[in-house]
Amino acid sequence: MRRDIKRQLALVMLAVFLIASVLIYQRQEPDELKVGVFAGSNWGVPDGDSYAVIDEVIKIFEQEHPGVKVTYVSGIKKEDYSEWLAEKMLAGEAPDVFIVPGDDFNMYASMGALQDLTNYGNQDKDFSWTAYYPAALNYGRYDERVYGLPVASVPTLMFVNKTLLAREGIAIPKNDWTWQEFLEICRRVTKDKDGDGVLDQFGVYDYDWKLAAVTNGVKLFRDDGRASYFADHRVEEAMQFMIKLHDAQRGREVTAKDFDMGRVAFRPFTFAEYRTYKPYPWRIKKYSSFEWDCIKLPAGPSGDNVSNLQTMLMGVNANSRHKELAWQLLKDICYRPEIQQMMLTKTQGLPVRRDVVESKESQELFAANAPGCEEMDLRVVSEVMDKAVMRPKFKGYDEAMLMADTEIQKIIAGIVPFNNALNKLQKEINAYLQQ
Amino acid sequence: MKVDFEVMREQARIASLYRLLGIYNGLVVFLMAGFMSITQEKIIKSMSARSFLETLPIVPMPAGECFALSMGSFLLLVGLGHLYRRDTLTDTMRYFVFLAEISACLLVMRSLNLAYDGVVLLVVADLMHRYQGKNQSWLLLGAMFGLYFIANYNMAVFQGHVAPFDAYVSYYKSSVQAILVAVKNGFVSVNIILFVLYLVLLVQSKHQEKERIASLNKQLGDANKRLRAYAIEAERMAETRERNRLAREIHDTLGHALTGIAAGLDACIILVDAAPEAAKKQLAKIRETARRGIVDVRRSVKKLRPDDLEKLPLRHAIARMVAEFAESSNMKIKVIALGWPDNLREDEEEVIYRVVQEGITNANQHGHATEAIVTIGTEPGRNYIIIADNGIGCSEVDPGFGLRHMKERLGLLHGRLRYWSDNGFTLEATIPAGNRQEDDK
Repeated sequence: MRRDIKRQLALVMLAVFLIASVLIYQRQEPDELKVGVFAGSNWGVPDGDSYAVIDEVIKIFEQEHPGVKVTYVSGIKKEDYSEWLAEKMLAGEAPDVFIVPGDDFNMYASMGALQDLTNYGNQDKDFSWTAYYPAALNYGRYDERVYGLPVASVPTLMFVNKTLLAREGIAIPKNDWTWQEFLEICRRVTKDKDGDGVLDQFGVYDYDWKLAAVTNGVKLFRDDGRASYFADHRVEEAMQFMIKLHDAQRGREVTAKDFDMGRVAFRPFTFAEYRTYKPYPWRIKKYSSFEWDCIKLPAGPSGDNVSNLQTMLMGVNANSRHKELAWQLLKDICYRPEIQQMMLTKTQGLPVRRDVVESKESQELFAANAPGCEEMDLRVVSEVMDKAVMRPKFKGYDEAMLMADTEIQKIIAGIVPFNNALNKLQKEINAYLQQ
Repeated sequence: MKVDFEVMREQARIASLYRLLGIYNGLVVFLMAGFMSITQEKIIKSMSARSFLETLPIVPMPAGECFALSMGSFLLLVGLGHLYRRDTLTDTMRYFVFLAEISACLLVMRSLNLAYDGVVLLVVADLMHRYQGKNQSWLLLGAMFGLYFIANYNMAVFQGHVAPFDAYVSYYKSSVQAILVAVKNGFVSVNIILFVLYLVLLVQSKHQEKERIASLNKQLGDANKRLRAYAIEAERMAETRERNRLAREIHDTLGHALTGIAAGLDACIILVDAAPEAAKKQLAKIRETARRGIVDVRRSVKKLRPDDLEKLPLRHAIARMVAEFAESSNMKIKVIALGWPDNLREDEEEVIYRVVQEGITNANQHGHATEAIVTIGTEPGRNYIIIADNGIGCSEVDPGFGLRHMKERLGLLHGRLRYWSDNGFTLEATIPAGNRQEDDK
C-alpha cells in the first residue's frame, strides 16, 4: 500500500514536472524574433548609425509578416559582443538570428549551435547561392554545409599616397601592377629627405607576408586543415619578395605615425577604411595633408591582383523556435537587394551580392559618397571581391598561423637563414596540425 | 513460522538497501546537476562564457533546464523501477517497462553530461531483483552486458557531444578542483560499494531460500520414509494377528478333533464289550474324525508356513527377511552365520525363522534399536540363535505375547529361550540337534 502511494506520488511529480516544463517553454511569446547585433562597425572603423540597416530590415519584415515582432538588444559594443553571445548561448537565451563573430563561427558551427542553412537555401525558390561572391559565401561554410550567410564583405586594397608619388615623379600604378613595380617604387621613394642621416620617406607600411602569399596565389593549407604547403615554391617567391621589401627599408621600422604624416607611399587598406576616410567628414580629419586613393594589391609572379576578404556573417540559432521565420529574416538581411544596397550607404562594408555591387544604382551611390576617386570604382571592387581569397577555417588555423608568422618574421628579418627554413616550418606546422 | 520471519527480515533488509541505493543516487544526481547548473550560472555572471564555450564540443543546456531534466528523468527512472518491481505486471509489460527504464537511465546520464554513470547500477539492481529460473540467468547476463555496452557506447558516441565535467571543474581554483574531482570519484566509489552490498545480500537471500527449500524437501523425504516403514510394519502386524488367529483355529480344529476322538473312544470303551459291532462302527467314525483332523492340521500348518520358507532354503529366506526388515525399519542388521545346521526339519526351520523374525521385530519395536546382530551357529548337540541389539533394553523383562509365543514354539522342539539386558537387549535361543540325525540314519 505504501509502495503504491509512493509510486503514484512519483508519477504525479513527474507529470507536474512535464507540465511545468511545457508551460515554461510556451511562456515565450509565440511570434517574437530576437536578433543579435552589436553597435559599431564590424571593420574597426568609426561608425555613426549602427542600427540603420537592422531597423530598416525590421520595418520591412514586420510589415510583411504581421503579428511577428522583431527585437534586438541595443548598446552591446562589438568588443563585448562575443562574450554577450556566449552568455546568452549558455543561458539558452540566444537570439534567433544573430551576427556570428568570425572568430566564433567555427566554434558555434562545430557545436551545433548554428542552424544548417544548406537545405533552407536549396529549397527556397526565391533564393540562389550563386548571387553571392564565392569567397563571401564560403566564409559561412563549415564541413561543406552553410551555417551562416554573409551580410557584408570588405576586401583589402592598397592605399596610395598620390601626393608623395607625384612629388617623386612616379605615376600612380595601374590596377594590374606587379610586385616588381611595387618593389621598384618602394626602393625609389625610400630616402633621407632632410639629410639628417635618418631615413624619413618610405615605400610601404603594414604590408605583411600573408598579403604577399595571397597575391601570389598561395594555398597555405589543405582544405581539411591536416597539412600545410609552406614549402611551395610560391611561398618561397613571396618570402624572397618580402626579404627584398624589408631590405628596401634598410632596417628602419616604419610606424603608423610615418604613414599619418604622409611619409609613406603605400599601405594595405581595407575597403571599409577607404569608405570611412574618403568621404566627408573624415576626409578632412584624417590624411588631410595629402591626396590619396586606393588601388588593387600588386600581383606576384605566380598570382594575381587579388585580395583577402573579411566577411560579416549572420546565422540562425539551431535551437530557435521559429526557424522558418528566422530564415526569412536572415534572407531579408543578407539577400534582399534593397537591404544589401543599404550596405553601401549606411555601412562601410560592401554588399555580398554581385548583382547589387555591379548595379548602376550602386555605382551612382558609391560615386556620390566618395568623391574624387579616379582609380577605384565598383567594377574594380567587384573584380577584387570575385577573386578574393577566403581565410581558411579549421580548428587550429589561428595557432598554426601564429606559429608560422613568428617563424617567417624571423626569416624576413634575416635572423634565421632562408635556405631550408620553409621546409622545416612546413614540417613543424604539419606536426602541429596532425596532433 | 520462524523461517518465514527470517526471510521477511532478509527481504526487508534488501528492500531498504535498494531504497538507500535509490536515495543515494538521487542525491548524487541532485548534487551533480546542481553543481553544473550553479557553475554555469557563475560562469555567466563572471563573464567567462566565451572562454568556457571554447572548451566544449557543444552548447550545454541552460542551467535550469539541465537541472530539471536530470531530476525529472531520475524521478522517471525511480518510478519505472518501482513499476518494474510490482508483481502485477505481465511479462511483456515488464519488458517494456524495463526498456523505458533503460531509456530513462540514458537520459539521466545524458543530462548529467555523462559525468556520472552510477545510475546504470540502479537499473542492474532492478534487473537482478527479478532474476529467476534457469533461462532468466542467461537473460540477465545478456541484459547486463547489453546495458553496459549501451552505456559505454553512449559514452563513446556522446563523448564528443557533451560538456565534459572537467570543463566545469576547471572554472574553479586548482585547489578546489582537486577536491571536486575527489568528491566526484568518491560518489562513484560509494555507489559501487552500495551496489555490491546489495548484490551480496540479494545473492545471500536467494541462497538461503534455496537452502530452506532443500531442508524442507529433506524433511518431507524423511516423513515419507517413516510412513512407508509404518505401513510395512502395520501390514506385518496384521499378518501376525492373522497367524495368531489361524493358530487358534488350528488349535481349535485339533482340539475339536481330539476331543471328538477322546469322546468317541470313551463310547467305544463302553460299547466294545456290549456291542462290538457298534464299537467297530464307532471306531471307524473316530478314525474318520482323526483323519479329518490330520488333514485339517496339515492344511492349517501349510497355511502358516511363511512363503519364503516354502520357496527358499532357510539361509536365504532369513537373509531376505532380514534385508527386507532392515530396509523397511532402517535398522542395520547383520547376520553372522557361524555354521548352518544341516538336515533341519520343516518345523525347526520355521521356528528358527520365526525366532529371528520376532527377535528383530522386538528389537525395533520395544528396544528402539538401530543396530542388531543376528548370530546363527551350531554346536555339537544343539543349534543356537543369538540376537543382540543396541536398543534401550529393559531391566525387568515382562514377556509379552511375542516372547511367550517364541518360548512356546521352542518348547515344542525342546529348545530353550534366554534373554537379558546389558548394552541393549540380547536374546538367545537353543534348539537341540544331533540325535535326530542319528534317528534319521
